[in-house]
Amino acid sequence: MQDVALLEFESVVRPGASPWRRFLRDLLRRKVAVVALAYILLFYAVGAFAPLVAPYDPNAQNLSVESRLQGPSWEHLLGTDSLGRDILSRVVYAARTTLLFTVAVLVTGGLVLGLGLGLLAGYRGGWVDTLIMRVGEVLAGIPTLFLMIAIAAAFRTRIDDAAYWLRQNTFLGQDAKAFLDFVIIVGVTVPFAWVGTARIVRSQALAIREMEYVLAAEALGASVWRIVTRHILPGVLPLFLVGVSGGMAAIAGVEVSLSFLGLGVDPPTASFGTLIGDGAGVRTFQAYPHLLLSAAVPVVLFFFAWNLLGDALVDILEPRMQAR
Amino acid sequence: MPPGLSAYLIRRLLWTIPVLFAISFIVFTILRLAPGDPVDTLLGQRYTEETAARLRAKYGYDRPLLVQYGKYLSNLMRGDLGVSTRHADFTVSEVIWPKIKVSSQLGAMALVITFAIGIPVGVYAALARGTPLDPLTIGFWLAIDAVPVFVAIPILQWVLAVKLGWVRLAWEGVWSPNIILPVLIMSLPGVAGVARFTRASVISVMSEDYVRTARAKGLPERLVVWRHIARNAMLPLITVIGLSLPGIAGGALFVELYFGIPGIAREALEAVLAPDFDVVLALVLFGSLLFVLANILVDVSYAIIDPRVRVQAQRG
Repeated sequence: MQDVALLEFESVVRPGASPWRRFLRDLLRRKVAVVALAYILLFYAVGAFAPLVAPYDPNAQNLSVESRLQGPSWEHLLGTDSLGRDILSRVVYAARTTLLFTVAVLVTGGLVLGLGLGLLAGYRGGWVDTLIMRVGEVLAGIPTLFLMIAIAAAFRTRIDDAAYWLRQNTFLGQDAKAFLDFVIIVGVTVPFAWVGTARIVRSQALAIREMEYVLAAEALGASVWRIVTRHILPGVLPLFLVGVSGGMAAIAGVEVSLSFLGLGVDPPTASFGTLIGDGAGVRTFQAYPHLLLSAAVPVVLFFFAWNLLGDALVDILEPRMQAR
Repeated sequence: MPPGLSAYLIRRLLWTIPVLFAISFIVFTILRLAPGDPVDTLLGQRYTEETAARLRAKYGYDRPLLVQYGKYLSNLMRGDLGVSTRHADFTVSEVIWPKIKVSSQLGAMALVITFAIGIPVGVYAALARGTPLDPLTIGFWLAIDAVPVFVAIPILQWVLAVKLGWVRLAWEGVWSPNIILPVLIMSLPGVAGVARFTRASVISVMSEDYVRTARAKGLPERLVVWRHIARNAMLPLITVIGLSLPGIAGGALFVELYFGIPGIAREALEAVLAPDFDVVLALVLFGSLLFVLANILVDVSYAIIDPRVRVQAQRG
């Protein structure tokens, strides 16, 4: 045990390298974390460049008997579904759905609400802090998945008119319905996605607020904006990363679960939830195992990669936080 | 119980009342304002304006929102949760209690199994720290955690029921061997969280002075691990119980759907989709109450066990 303690001590006092460079070095030294990060980046790249990567049109049907429900072959590497669509192409476009969803939730729920409200609560304190944390407590106290289902179900029946309007009046055209599905699932996820991150950020901001250098900056008359962005934010960011990466698999899982239940993105838009839904069921799996496996393996690896990355980040940053 | 704690407990309990009011009002408003009501579903093809109006008057849906909410609250105070439009006007209590009983039994079993596996795994990983076995063990359970319940179910059903014939998929009550598979599927995803928490806790205890003393006085390693390390490392685990509940509840939904279990998660989904106003409201309130109380229980028991927490508890 002593040698471990010494090692941590050494990494804390080593002069020179900036915290971020040290953090990167520690991260790159962990092979598992690097592989996980590489897979996540690959997954997102595939999603971002879906039209270039996908071998076929994901929605092109082929209803002839010999092209429906085929197992993997050289022509269709992951097989075809019950409408003769190429599953690999649908998986690629499902990665795009996951990409859009996680980025949308990360920006709104993570950056704006999680980081923003956490900083606000931690730095301002007082009734602002109480209000934010009480609201968070209420939201965290609700059985989340069920309330999401309730809200998604309530709004979905109303969107056909709105989709029609958008199709006629905006550039969205045929994508209007998918866009609205998206707005709804992001909208039901965000209110619940920020609480954990905000708590972490708040407690860290509370601790940093009392540091001498912050007091010094305040005494010198630095503006609140400057203190928060220059002095508090850098100290909060590493833990923010830990919080975000730890929760990412769960957030991506929300879209998959809702789509699986038929409450997320609607067919024909590809989503891992609907793809898995097509292959789930013990009889379907017995007859056409490729339906479930082709869709499940890439997304399970994606969740797994986030879990591993989150775990590695906790390992890297936690001893440093304690050592301070 | 220490003096400051009872005041804290009372304050927390009182605080749940406005929280539940807020939740009930939000959910009530969403339900009533969303298009489509139980009457549409109830009548279906036989929908005519007159019957619909008559039924809406019968259930009070034609009245202003706040009047409906006030009526709901006054009934709630008398313990009347309303009627289920989906179950031919059976009272909500008659519909939900048998199902809550089934689900809570399954959930309790899953919770116990999660901890029964997670704690030894976490202790093991902590003791193996610095060797490849530590990341391998944790990594294995993180992989299990990454598999969504609705992916695991068809595969395991096929392997264990169709291929090997070890279990049957029929629902034959809580006390039949058939529930082993559903309970396992509910419990395994949570193991990683418990194991990681245990591991971190054990590692922090391992460097305590009394552990070094125990080793120095020549105590057998087995005694050091179980009497001095494990016992002290278990205390913080209480907090994880509260954190594990939402995951188990979410898993229960898919398990109940796939295995045909007459449980409350499935009832909740069907009630939401129908919609069945009073059932949804009752379940949201019941679920929220459960989660809020679990969190209070965790905080309070933590304060009793660890004296250092008390100061914070008093400050609220």
